[in-house]
Amino acid sequence: MSAIVKLVRTELRLVLREPLVLAFVFAFPIITVLVIAGSFGADDAHSFANVDPSQWYVASYLAVVIAAVGLVMVPVHLAGYRERGVLRRFAAAGFPRWSFAAAELIVGVTLTLVASVVLLLVASAAYGLPPIDSPVTTVAGVVLGAVAFTSVGLLLGALMPNARAAQGVGLLAFFPSFLLGGGGPPPDAMSSTLRHVANVLPLTHVTRAIRQPWLGLGSGMGDLAVVGAVLVVSAFGWRRAIRL
Amino acid sequence: MGEPVVEVHQLCKRYGERTVVDHVDLEIAAGEIVGLLGSNGAGKTTTVECISGLRRPDAGSVRVLGLDPQVDGSTLRTLVGSQLQDSALPDRLRVAEAIELFRDPRIQGSRAAVDGLLVAFGLAEHRRRAFSALSGGQRQRLFLVLALLNRPRLVILDELTQGLDPAARRDVWDAIRSLRDGGTTVLLVTHYMDEAEALCDRVAVMHGGRVLDVGTPARLVDRHAPWATVRFDMTAGGVPIDCLRAVEGVSYVRQAGAQVEVRGDRQMIAHLCCALVRGGEVPADLSVVMPDLEEAVIALLAGSDERALEPTGGAR
Repeated sequence: MSAIVKLVRTELRLVLREPLVLAFVFAFPIITVLVIAGSFGADDAHSFANVDPSQWYVASYLAVVIAAVGLVMVPVHLAGYRERGVLRRFAAAGFPRWSFAAAELIVGVTLTLVASVVLLLVASAAYGLPPIDSPVTTVAGVVLGAVAFTSVGLLLGALMPNARAAQGVGLLAFFPSFLLGGGGPPPDAMSSTLRHVANVLPLTHVTRAIRQPWLGLGSGMGDLAVVGAVLVVSAFGWRRAIRL
Repeated sequence: MGEPVVEVHQLCKRYGERTVVDHVDLEIAAGEIVGLLGSNGAGKTTTVECISGLRRPDAGSVRVLGLDPQVDGSTLRTLVGSQLQDSALPDRLRVAEAIELFRDPRIQGSRAAVDGLLVAFGLAEHRRRAFSALSGGQRQRLFLVLALLNRPRLVILDELTQGLDPAARRDVWDAIRSLRDGGTTVLLVTHYMDEAEALCDRVAVMHGGRVLDVGTPARLVDRHAPWATVRFDMTAGGVPIDCLRAVEGVSYVRQAGAQVEVRGDRQMIAHLCCALVRGGEVPADLSVVMPDLEEAVIALLAGSDERALEPTGGAR
């Protein structure tokens, strides 16, 4: 069995034992989508591009899962491992230096997809699942968004000196992204300043790359390209910054 | 000496402007236990990290089993077992999972060997226990098990017995001796001189990034602490103190009440005993104290510091 497969299998087991992961990646998006999707009625559709608000949020919240994995779970995990010398132990045991990052990328994407399925199951039971207008583009948005944000997480984890700093910076990046980039009020309800801020957040583009093709509001290709650029830049960054 | 397992030649490593390892030469033959001693910041761990392939040397060469750790890391993975200072396992990783993660399934019979290791190190009943739930001693023993899992030809142990109680230290020492008896080469980094003296065939003493001296513990003691101390109670009418001072090889004599302490070179012991016999009385409580490795290393390090402070400068 290759080093990567071993690491992935072990890391998947371990992240599922982490209370922070279970709370942030699984519980938080489910609880918030149930609350916020039920807070608006069909009369508010004009603020949601004339889409039923519950459907708008169900289609948006996959990006919240993606952000929770990429901005909170991965950086804390990576920085904590480096701080405690776990990465040194892996390297001393002959695991190639890049193998942990590669394994973490696979684990992050896998966890995002599993948590997304759980979220959709719960949300569909409560609000129904909106029909998917362009399934291929929507799935591409989810997968590329998951890869890009896990990659951002690796970059943050590589740059932060320890797990506590990674958690602080991760949460600081997560909540504005969550509130302005997909999990909070719709763009039409924001002030123009907040809309400008939202437009520069990478998570906003992930949300659009998923929501637009899903709800038939647009192709989402432009947003997909931005997400791809985020992936390239962050991957280049963590490949240079990652250390034992 | 057997074939070389580790060959370090003119190894240099710098962190920024600071030279941490400065032209280190070290050779370890197959089946040897070699100790790396020195004060904190001497460059021991960095040297070991270069040998392990964790750090790239700035200059010089490192060969392990004839391979370059920077290039042939994956080949060396199963040939070298490492236990490194300041390293850990994930908190929630269980003992059995750690073993599966680090075990190479291509090695035949490794599963049975693992069971034997777990029993030998008292971890058999802790297979399902998480790393965070292990005591300090159990963690160190697990690291040793992980280092030995794949029957490596070279084992690198950095501060292995730090934090262990005396009984656990002795158990680990026995395990290291049985490794050597099985033909495994061991590179041992330690602060404990008694550990180095008890286990090591040879010892390299490092200071300021350089190897000051290499040799067997006995040879290092001979070279750097070539003295002996004789103590006894002097009763009235014994050999006068001035006569003791005149004995060949004596460097000083100190008397506190009836207790006399005589220090000098090793031949002094014979001359002193002759003088005591000639004086008509051999004290019943006479004891000879020979310096140990700790005194030799302290003397070597102190000499190195003094040479460094000399106006002409330079440790060499």
